[in-house]
Amino acid sequence: MLRQTLKIAALAVATLLPALPAAAQQLTGVTDTEIHIATWSPQTGPAAPWGAVARGTGLLFDMVNDEGGIHGRKIVFHSYDDQYNPAKTVAGVKELVEKAPGIFAIASGVGSSSGLAVKDYLMERGIPWVGPAAGSLHWITPPQKALFAIYPLYADEANLLTRHLVEKEGKKKIAILYASDEYGENGHRGALAAMQKLGVKPVVEVAVNQADRDLKSHVLKLKESGADAVLMWVNPTHAVITLKTAAALGFAPQWAASSTLSDAPLMNTISGGLWKNILFASFGELPDADTAEVKKYRDAFPKYAQKGERWGVFFMAGIGFVEPLVEGLRRAGRDLTRESFIKAMESIKDYKGVMGRISFGPNERQGQREIFLARTDDSGVKVTRLTPWTVVD
Amino acid sequence: MEQVTTLLQVLFSGLAAGSVYALLALAMVIIYRTTEVLNFAQGEMAMVSTYLALSFIAASQLPFVVVVLVTLVLAALLGAAAQFILLRRAKEPSVLGLIIITLGLEMILFGLASWKWGGEPRDLPVPVSPYDTWVLGGVIMSQLEVASIVIAAVTILILFLFLSRSRAGLAMRATQQNRDVARLMGIRVRRVEMGAWALAAAIGAIAGLLTGPATTVEPYMMWDPLMKGFAAAVLGGITSLAGAALGGAIIGIVENLFGYYVSTSFKSIVPFAVILLMLAIKPSGLLARHYVKKV
Repeated sequence: MLRQTLKIAALAVATLLPALPAAAQQLTGVTDTEIHIATWSPQTGPAAPWGAVARGTGLLFDMVNDEGGIHGRKIVFHSYDDQYNPAKTVAGVKELVEKAPGIFAIASGVGSSSGLAVKDYLMERGIPWVGPAAGSLHWITPPQKALFAIYPLYADEANLLTRHLVEKEGKKKIAILYASDEYGENGHRGALAAMQKLGVKPVVEVAVNQADRDLKSHVLKLKESGADAVLMWVNPTHAVITLKTAAALGFAPQWAASSTLSDAPLMNTISGGLWKNILFASFGELPDADTAEVKKYRDAFPKYAQKGERWGVFFMAGIGFVEPLVEGLRRAGRDLTRESFIKAMESIKDYKGVMGRISFGPNERQGQREIFLARTDDSGVKVTRLTPWTVVD
Repeated sequence: MEQVTTLLQVLFSGLAAGSVYALLALAMVIIYRTTEVLNFAQGEMAMVSTYLALSFIAASQLPFVVVVLVTLVLAALLGAAAQFILLRRAKEPSVLGLIIITLGLEMILFGLASWKWGGEPRDLPVPVSPYDTWVLGGVIMSQLEVASIVIAAVTILILFLFLSRSRAGLAMRATQQNRDVARLMGIRVRRVEMGAWALAAAIGAIAGLLTGPATTVEPYMMWDPLMKGFAAAVLGGITSLAGAALGGAIIGIVENLFGYYVSTSFKSIVPFAVILLMLAIKPSGLLARHYVKKV
C-alpha cells in the first residue's frame, strides 16, 4: 500500500518537474520567428463603429509582414472582440497573456473602461501597451513605465472646441452631453476645466447611461437650458439618437463633437443625413488628406482590407495608434526584450505618421498633444479643416 | 405656463417611448398567457425582423407598406418556426427549461445578426419622418412619434378584439388556464402555442420597425426596449393585455419624468425600481386577476 502510494507520488513529482521551469518562465510572446501582439475592440455592440480601429491595426501589421517583418520576425496579431464590455476585456486579455507563447505587447485597444479594466494587470506584468484608443488621463496619471499613450487628451479637445465656439462663433450658452462612463466622464471633466479657464459656465450638463435608447428627456433638458452650442462625449449611436431627437423637438444648436465622433461619412449615414455643420476635433489626418503617409496606406487599402471595409477615420486611427509601436520594434533591434523595446520607444521624437506628431521620452508618456478642428458642410460628408495642428497650452 | 408646456412635452415624449414598450410587453404577455414561458428572445426576434425590412428596402423598390406586410409575415413565420423547431423539441419541458431555451435563441439570433449584418449601426428609412413636426399647444410632436402612438393603439385594439372575440383567442386562454382540459376539449394545444409565438413575433416586429427609425438599427437595438417592455408586462400583471399596454405607457412616462426632473444618468433603472415597488405592493400587477396556480 505504502509502496504504491510512494510510486504514485513519485510519478506525480516526475510529471510536475518538467512543467515547473516552464511555468516559472515568463511568457514573453517573442519567438525566433514571431512577435505576438494583441488588441481588443468592440466588433459588435453599442460601440461597434469604433471596432474599425482593430481592423486598421491588422492592415498595418499585414503590410509590415509583407515587407519582410521586423528583424526576421513576423507579427502575429490577436484581435479580441470584447463588445465594449470591460468584463470581457479582462477575460480575453488574460487568456491571451497567460497562454503560450504569451503576448509581447498590446497595440491600441478600444475604450476607456475596457482599458482601465486591464491596465493594472498589464502594468504589473510589465507588458508594454502602446496607443490606447481612448483619450483618458488614466493612462498617464501617474505615468507607467510600459504604457505609451498617444490619443490626445479629451480635455485638450474640449479646450479647443470651447475656445472656437466662444471666440470664433460668439456662442454664449454651452451645454455638455456626456456618457456616464470613463470615456464620457473624462470628456466632461476636461470640458469643465477648459471652460473654467475661459471663464464660461456650462448652462447644463447631461449624462447619458450606456444602456439608454430613449434620450427624449436628455435632449429636452438641453433644449430648455437655451443652449446655443452642445459639446458631445457620447458613443456614435447615442450621438445619432440625440440628433434625431433634437430634430424632432425643433432644437438646433451648434453641435460640437469629440474626436470619437469624427468619422463624418459614417455618422452621416447612420443618422440618416443629420450630420450637417458639425464642429469636431480630430486627432489624425483626414482620410482623404494628401500627405505621403496617408497616401501610402490608402493605396494599400484595397489590397489588404476585407470586402465591405471602408477607408474611414477609425480604421486609419488603428494604423496611427500603432505606427509608433512598429517604429519601437524596429529601433529595438533583433535582440528584442521588453526592456529594450521600452528604451527604444523612449527614443521616439517628432514621429509623423497618419496622426499628429508623436514624441516620447524617459519621462514622457503622452505621445501626441496636437489636434485640429474641422467641420462638416451641408452635405454632412465633406469635411473642411478649420485650424492647423494645434497644441493646447 | 412654460413649465406646464414642458411637463406636457415630457408626458408626450414618454408616451411615444412607452408605445413601443407596450407592444413588446404585449408580445411577451401573449406568449406567457398561452405557455407560461417568458420569451427573452422577443427583442432579438424583433431586431432580426427589422433587419429583414432594411434588406427589402435596400434590395427592392417595393412600396413601404408592402415591405411592412412582408416583414410581418416573415416575422410570424420566424416566431412559429422558433416554437416548432426549438421549444417543441424539449423533452419533458419545465417552464424554466423553456425560458432558458428562449435565452439561447436570443443569443443565437444576436450572433447571427452580428455576423450577417455586422455591428455598425444603420439608418432605417421610413416614409414617416422623425424630423417633421407638428406643434400643438406648445408641445412639439414628430410625425414618427405620433405614428408610433397611433400604430401601437390600433394594434392593441385589434389584438384585444381578436383575443376576446375570436375562437382562436378563446383557445389561447383555455390553453393557458388548463392545457390538459383544453386538449380534451378538442383544442389543438400545440398549434395554439405556435400561433401565439407567431402573433407575438409579428407584434414584436412592429415594435422593431417603430424603434429603428427613431434610433439606429443594430444587433443590440432591442435590449433596452425589451427590458422596459418586460418591466411594463410585470407592472401590468403579466397575463393582462390591457395591463401590458397601460404598463408600457406608465414606464415610458415615469422614466421620462424622472430623466427630465431628477437625473438622466439613472433614468434607465427607473423601470426596475417600479417593478420592485409593484412586487412589494401588488405582486399580481395592476390589472391581472390573481389566479391561484392549479396543482
